[in-house]
Amino acid sequence: MNKLIITVLAKDRPGIIAHVTQVLFALECNLENVNQMILQDQFAGFFLVESPPSLDKDSLQTSLDDQTKDTGLVIHVNDLDENNGSAMDGAGDIFLITTIGPDQKGLVARFSAIIAKYQGNIINLKAVFKGGPDPRNNVMSYQVWVTPDVDSAAMFAALRKKAAELGLDIRIQHKNIFDAINKI
Amino acid sequence: MFEDHEIISTIEMVKNEHLDVRAVTLGVNLFDCISHDLGTFRHNIRHKILTHASSLKSVCDEVGDKYGIQVVNKRISISPIALVGAAFSADQMVEIAHELNDIAKTVDIDFIGGFSALVEKGMATGDLALIAALPRALAQTDRVCASVNVATTKAGINMDAVLQMSQAIKQAAELTADEDGLACAKLCVFANIPEDMPFMAGAYLGVGVADAVINVGVSGPGVVKRAIERHLENGPMTLGNIAEVIKRTACKVTRVGELIGREVAKNLDVRFGVVDLSLAPTPTVGDSIGEIFQALGLSHIGVPGSTAALAMLNDAVKKGGAFASSHVGGLSGAFIPVSEDLNIAHAAHQGFLSMEKLEALTSVCSVGLDMVPVPGDITEETLAGIIADEMAIGMINAKTTACRIIPVPGKKAGESVYFGGLLGEAKIMAVPHMMETNAFMRYGGRIPAPIHSLKN
Repeated sequence: MNKLIITVLAKDRPGIIAHVTQVLFALECNLENVNQMILQDQFAGFFLVESPPSLDKDSLQTSLDDQTKDTGLVIHVNDLDENNGSAMDGAGDIFLITTIGPDQKGLVARFSAIIAKYQGNIINLKAVFKGGPDPRNNVMSYQVWVTPDVDSAAMFAALRKKAAELGLDIRIQHKNIFDAINKI
Repeated sequence: MFEDHEIISTIEMVKNEHLDVRAVTLGVNLFDCISHDLGTFRHNIRHKILTHASSLKSVCDEVGDKYGIQVVNKRISISPIALVGAAFSADQMVEIAHELNDIAKTVDIDFIGGFSALVEKGMATGDLALIAALPRALAQTDRVCASVNVATTKAGINMDAVLQMSQAIKQAAELTADEDGLACAKLCVFANIPEDMPFMAGAYLGVGVADAVINVGVSGPGVVKRAIERHLENGPMTLGNIAEVIKRTACKVTRVGELIGREVAKNLDVRFGVVDLSLAPTPTVGDSIGEIFQALGLSHIGVPGSTAALAMLNDAVKKGGAFASSHVGGLSGAFIPVSEDLNIAHAAHQGFLSMEKLEALTSVCSVGLDMVPVPGDITEETLAGIIADEMAIGMINAKTTACRIIPVPGKKAGESVYFGGLLGEAKIMAVPHMMETNAFMRYGGRIPAPIHSLKN
């Protein structure tokens, strides 16, 4: 059995997941995990499957391409290396780094560069800039995996310094505080 | 992963609604420090407290930074000095207070509580010495807090102690006349005092508690007020719905306190005790219990309907706390300190909140007559009467009540007092009939425990 990861991109519409999973079912692939998101009108989905021994990466790619022809779906199949594990294996903590303030060119690039410099791993990023007084419309939130070998104090200081330069309000808080308040 | 509204609302609670951890209080048991020699006792308590508390402040700051929630006050509570220092005279008790004050400065905390006695059923030698020492101890130190428990539901009210405490309060006020009687702001008289309370001035470490323990006091009146306002903006609500909103909000705030407390306890390698979720106001606008009353539709705290509103608020806070944690303790409810809450102080000054109404409110709040400035020429008997009334409310209703009253020397009702910081400022409240003779307070003895104390 092969573990394969299938990426599907498309303009969002009803029936994308149904179409893809029906094809996978017909090919005797066992669906192990699915995750999807929609950004404005764009759909992105990840399908983790176990395929039968007779079906390798290339033949699955060919089958999916054939059976989704003219649907507008962009599909990419790749092998999943189970030995690599998750980026979040081992010791570490998740911090939420949130900035509130109006949009400026290069915000994500500037903050993510600092996080990368200190080897923090961004595991989720949401950025919304719609203007107006509502903070919900002018917010960037990074969820960052911080391992013990990351100099977190220096990274957080650099992020706070950058936010001050750009006139943004920044909050850096361990994930557990959000769990405590919101995940009851 | 979190939704946008979860992230923003959490940040708003901290940034704009004044959610904080009001106090992380390290309780330290001093029974193994007992000695008949004052020098040895002072050495022992210094060594014991410093052993546990030397990194209290830095650990609290680190944990606060990690979660983005400020730990506003770091404090220490200790075993009652009247018990562990029972061998000493009043003069020696004052020296112990100085030692405690110096220890508090050494570990950089604002208050150390436990200069205390438990005298609900009678006063032993150490209790008498401590009460005699109280005025000087509090006037000569700035970080020592004192409490004396004079009543319980099981024991009744020790009326001898009530009168002695009235005298001690008057003397403490006179000794700090140049600071509007500030010493009295560090002295509470209690009925049913909790042994795990993190809030000052009443915090002490009970005799049945572990050798060292972290108790956490979480506040959040601003968070509750905004939650009520937000829901009312979305349309009409019943009081049942509003109570539900308060309960859920209290639950969230309690969980924050337990998270912080457990991590501080773990890092200090001591046991975690309780979370005390008390809506404790500060003189800051937006961090007020009085403003919650206005959010509920009352023009001011003190107008008719206030007692019902406070009863609902206090109960909802307790229910939310109980749902959030199995280790809720201390007072856990709503405080109504006059000078510490700008809105309450204004309501008192404008005549919406009288002493009589304040006393009525204490029958359903979690503490009692708290930070109430009264005229300096109030008689001992009248002050003792106010204390006895408050103790009776606690005794009969099997709840904590307390008096932190400041008879301001040389000042009359309506004049201003300023205590500064979290202690705030207010106008002196009028006390009706305060110059009447009051023979009742001179009988002494003990008011017996109520019939419902006979439960065994």
